[in-house]
Amino acid sequence: MASILTFCMGTRSSIPRSGLELLAVARSLSQQLGSVPVQALFLGLGVREHAPALIHHGADQVLLADHPCLERPEDEVVLGITEEVVRQLAPRVVLLPHDELFGGHVGPRLAYRLKAGIVTDCTGFAVQNGDIRWLRPVYGGKAMAYMCARGLLQVATIRSRAFEPLPADALRTGEIQEIPIPEAFSTSVTVVERVEAAEERGLSLDRAEIIVSGGRGMGSAEGFSILHELARVLGAAVGGSRPAADMGWVPHSHLVGQTGKIVAPKLYIAVGISGATQHMAGAGSSKTIVAINKDPDAPIFKLAHIGVVGEWEKVVPPLIRSFQEMRS
Amino acid sequence: MHIVVCLKQIIDPEVPFHLFRIDPVAKTQIRGSHPLVISSYDEVAVEVAIQAKERWGGQVTIVSIGTKETIQSLHQALAMGADAAILLCDPLFEQTDSFGKARILAAALRKIGDFDLILCGRQAGDVEMGLVGPFLAEELGIPCATLVANLVSSNGKVRLKRPTESGYEILEAPLPCLATITNDESNVPRYASVKGIRAAMRTPIPTWTATDLSLDAAALGQEGRIEIDEMWIPQREIRCELIAGESAEERARNLALRLRELGLV
Ligand SMILES: Cc1cc2nc3c(=O)[nH]c(=O)nc-3n(C[C@@H](O)[C@H](O)[C@H](O)COP(=O)(O)OP(=O)(O)OC[C@H]3O[C@@H](n4cnc5c(N)ncnc54)[C@H](O)[C@@H]3O)c2cc1C
Ligand SMILES: Cc1cc2nc3c(=O)[nH]c(=O)nc-3n(C[C@H](O)[C@H](O)[C@H](O)COP(=O)(O)OP(=O)(O)OC[C@H]3O[C@@H](n4cnc5c(N)ncnc54)[C@H](O)[C@@H]3O)c2cc1C
Repeated sequence: MASILTFCMGTRSSIPRSGLELLAVARSLSQQLGSVPVQALFLGLGVREHAPALIHHGADQVLLADHPCLERPEDEVVLGITEEVVRQLAPRVVLLPHDELFGGHVGPRLAYRLKAGIVTDCTGFAVQNGDIRWLRPVYGGKAMAYMCARGLLQVATIRSRAFEPLPADALRTGEIQEIPIPEAFSTSVTVVERVEAAEERGLSLDRAEIIVSGGRGMGSAEGFSILHELARVLGAAVGGSRPAADMGWVPHSHLVGQTGKIVAPKLYIAVGISGATQHMAGAGSSKTIVAINKDPDAPIFKLAHIGVVGEWEKVVPPLIRSFQEMRS
Repeated sequence: MHIVVCLKQIIDPEVPFHLFRIDPVAKTQIRGSHPLVISSYDEVAVEVAIQAKERWGGQVTIVSIGTKETIQSLHQALAMGADAAILLCDPLFEQTDSFGKARILAAALRKIGDFDLILCGRQAGDVEMGLVGPFLAEELGIPCATLVANLVSSNGKVRLKRPTESGYEILEAPLPCLATITNDESNVPRYASVKGIRAAMRTPIPTWTATDLSLDAAALGQEGRIEIDEMWIPQREIRCELIAGESAEERARNLALRLRELGLV
């Protein structure tokens, strides 16, 4: 029976959370469509030992491609393998993470080549009369839509953190099958240089329990330095809105929002951020959102749990002092 | 080098959500009195194209599928420094999905003919499917680089800078090719100069219809593979607890206490 096929790029050290989230989507979809088998394509170098974990999290079969050419593959290498596998397996649904590689490149091109329908950046779905309706935000999250992908095959890219991975079930069994990788892929676009940023980027947003984020209201890079101080006393990571990233006050990898990182810390403190839906799309799943803004009418006061009206110049320094006093 | 930028005009995406309305039957946003603007990543793409022209010469052409009102956005792109603009306008173009949009743009690009590089936004600022760019590259059978921020060199081939998690990478692509553009600190769109605006208003903007592009309903319709089934505005307001206090200092202290009470710090 035509399957649901999920994708995952792993590393030696771990399986990305998105790979497990896709399996949760696949299992629930499988149940609603009537016991459709779930296959997981697992790519990477040195990832073999993690393959059973994909079974434990919901796959019925893992197709493993563990190969040196997959350590940091070019987009077109992943596209080539993906296209090959999808043509052979002829699944009914292909689920991909909505990240730079799959959402920005592989998904759209794959759908075009296979004449498949595609819905990107999905946050949910509903099955109605055997049809899948994909839920996704539109207009920067101000509206939601159900979209349908027409075609024998459909592709959906899934927004990170929209689904919780299923708990691992070590008793689940399934088959792990190696798939051959063509010796050489010719690519037209090639990476000729990789440059690691020299500057200290601080704690990564993905792991932080607390995130302090600044916006255009911080006014300058100097303004931003006080947020780093606040982050230090809280053991927090520092993020920013798009203007803050465009201005170079935070690196782009620390941009929070629909087109940046989707984060879900237990505490998100937004300073000098107006609360645009495109920003809140990335911060909205935080357990508690605190807003510090000088404008009592700023939209963020309708989206935050706790608010302080005031200029950050007057609010943040005493806030830092209070936390320091609590510590000592 | 001849760079073509695909530009979509949209209703201002910064409209705050309490003023945002949709038509649930047409399944699209209601314009109201909101301004029409260049989709933000497309404005960034125009900036990238003009920077490239300033460094290595060449010309920049803008194409947009839109309406008469889109001419205003095309003028803006010309005023920023683009050399030419073409409006693709036909009732047939309106009710099409991303596949249809790519097909229309591909027909226009073939008619333009001598392009070297096509730039698209990473995603439009309204429906945000992020599909038209890669689809267009496939439609034309040219290489596709995604999520790049700028060009770093150009001589027969292009080198493109792509931001990554930990820094950036340089991609090399043969020409002609297509790139989807994301923003970074190097490509913040410029304002148009007064001189640029004057010159732009004098630049004629040709309109190409379905007939000009030899497209008919069959060519566009059969590609309907993405359907918008339903659209609504979710209820999202949270009751925000405002921290009290006479002075900013007192409010700050009360915030710290409240966060400790909640066990958050
Ligand atoms: C009346 C109406 C009916 C519609 N019906 C459908 C439908 O049934 N199914 C559906 O999927 N969508 C429908 N749409 C929306 C649809 O036309 C989208 O705009 C289209 O799918 C493109 O997707 P996107 O805007 O998300 O562009 P993206 O794929 O996100 O755009 C990426 C990039 O492509 C380029 N680009 C996109 N659009 C244009 C353009 N118009 N001109 C020049 N360059 C452009 C830009 O560079 C842009 O940054 C409808 C719209 C209207 C107004
Ligand atoms: C397709 C698309 C994708 C986007 N993706 C993202 C994204 O991923 N992430 C993102 O962040 N944005 C994104 N945006 C941009 C988004 O729409 C907003 O423009 C942006 O989030 C606004 O950033 P901001 O809140 O920092 O700035 P502004 O909206 O300018 O707000 C600044 C705030 O600071 C306050 N302020 C000023 N001075 C002070 C002071 N002294 N003390 C306290 N407060 C002060 C002001 O009252 C104001 O509320 C996207 C837009 C589009 C169209």
